Amino acid sequence: MTIAADGVQLFLPETYDIVWSLIILIIVAAFFYKFFLPRFQSIFDERTAKIEGGLAKAEQAQKDAEEAKKKYQAQLSTARVEASKIRDDARAEASHIIADARSRAESEAAQITANAERSLESQQQKAMVNLRGEVGSLATTLATKILGSELKDTDVQSQMIDNMLADMERDESKK
Amino acid sequence: MVDVFTAGAVTLAESSMEMPSIDDFLPPEILFQGTPFAINRIIFVRILATIIMLLVLGITAARAKLIPGRWQGAVEWVIEFVKKDIVYQVMGEVRGKRYVPMITTVFLTLLVFNLCGEIPGMNIAASATITLPLVFAMWCFAQYWIAGIREKGLGHFLRDELFPKGVPWPIYILLSPIQLLELLVIRPFSLTIRLFANMVSGHLILALCLSATQYFLIDVVNKFMMPFGVVTFAAGIFMYLFEVLVACLQAYIFAILTTAYINMSYPEID
Repeated sequence: MTIAADGVQLFLPETYDIVWSLIILIIVAAFFYKFFLPRFQSIFDERTAKIEGGLAKAEQAQKDAEEAKKKYQAQLSTARVEASKIRDDARAEASHIIADARSRAESEAAQITANAERSLESQQQKAMVNLRGEVGSLATTLATKILGSELKDTDVQSQMIDNMLADMERDESKK
Repeated sequence: MVDVFTAGAVTLAESSMEMPSIDDFLPPEILFQGTPFAINRIIFVRILATIIMLLVLGITAARAKLIPGRWQGAVEWVIEFVKKDIVYQVMGEVRGKRYVPMITTVFLTLLVFNLCGEIPGMNIAASATITLPLVFAMWCFAQYWIAGIREKGLGHFLRDELFPKGVPWPIYILLSPIQLLELLVIRPFSLTIRLFANMVSGHLILALCLSATQYFLIDVVNKFMMPFGVVTFAAGIFMYLFEVLVACLQAYIFAILTTAYINMSYPEID
């Protein structure tokens, strides 16, 4: 064992120790100030920017998607409304057409019926007049032939015809 | 115990157990003897540690990628720790930004230098001379004076420090000299001596445990002494781990106190 140094010596800075401590401190500080920390700071900044950019991009994408969805939904609902409108219109038109056709057909049918009735009536009337005339003259001729001059009086003649016709009508209504 | 020591003393004379001493901290100069650039063992360790640190961190920084690997992640964790948990926590982000590089330098350099004491082959902390902690403490000293003068002006700074508000005036007779002493001497020297003494005592205890283990297990003639060797070996392992903790802790304490001292120079409320 060498002679133990005086303890006080421990606390006395040596010149070369000061030199080497300072040189090393300056080198180390320069390294951290000028290279190490700026380098890592730029890495941190870049990372932050990238993460933020990614987040912003994702947000943008989500927003876009939502907008598109909204647009599609709006389009879909207008399309739906339009479709239902078209359907309603079509239905209304169809019912209109049907009603039209029906009323036209009805009126035509009514007209045809009326025409037919009218012509029937007129024919009946005509027939009646003809019949009346013919029956009257026939009866007159016949009666004249049977009764001679007795029926030359026109009043009697027409009364007799009327009576006969009334009988005939009564017969017909009985049937 | 007395028996052990006397027995130790007796055998010490016989086979000369190697005792650690403060000579370990005053090693002979091995290069450039007698010049201001003389290099002894501790300074050699210091230069070696600096070169290794600069190479490792420099390569890490040069190769730093956007997506960090494990090692880069660890280094980034330390950087963030110094920034957030030391500087910003004490000073806040606005004041602290300026001092992040300084505190990072202090913390990482002292951490590496302190850990040299636990690296086999180096076996002594690169910070285990009075001068290195003193230089770092002087840097802190300069920074808190500069901060005080810049933020308040020399007069205001001294008045705030020497005559704290809310103290009755007779107390100033006692308080002001203490405050001045604190500002000029106590702060830098407490920083220095705390670190230096921790490194010295750590080295002494660890070396004592290990040389005692060597002595009791291998060198000793009396084989009944071997259980003491086992005990000192266990104590050596424990002290080794403890010194790793102390190395980290002292770097942290130095860094956080430096930050706190600088912060004290700023006006109270911001």
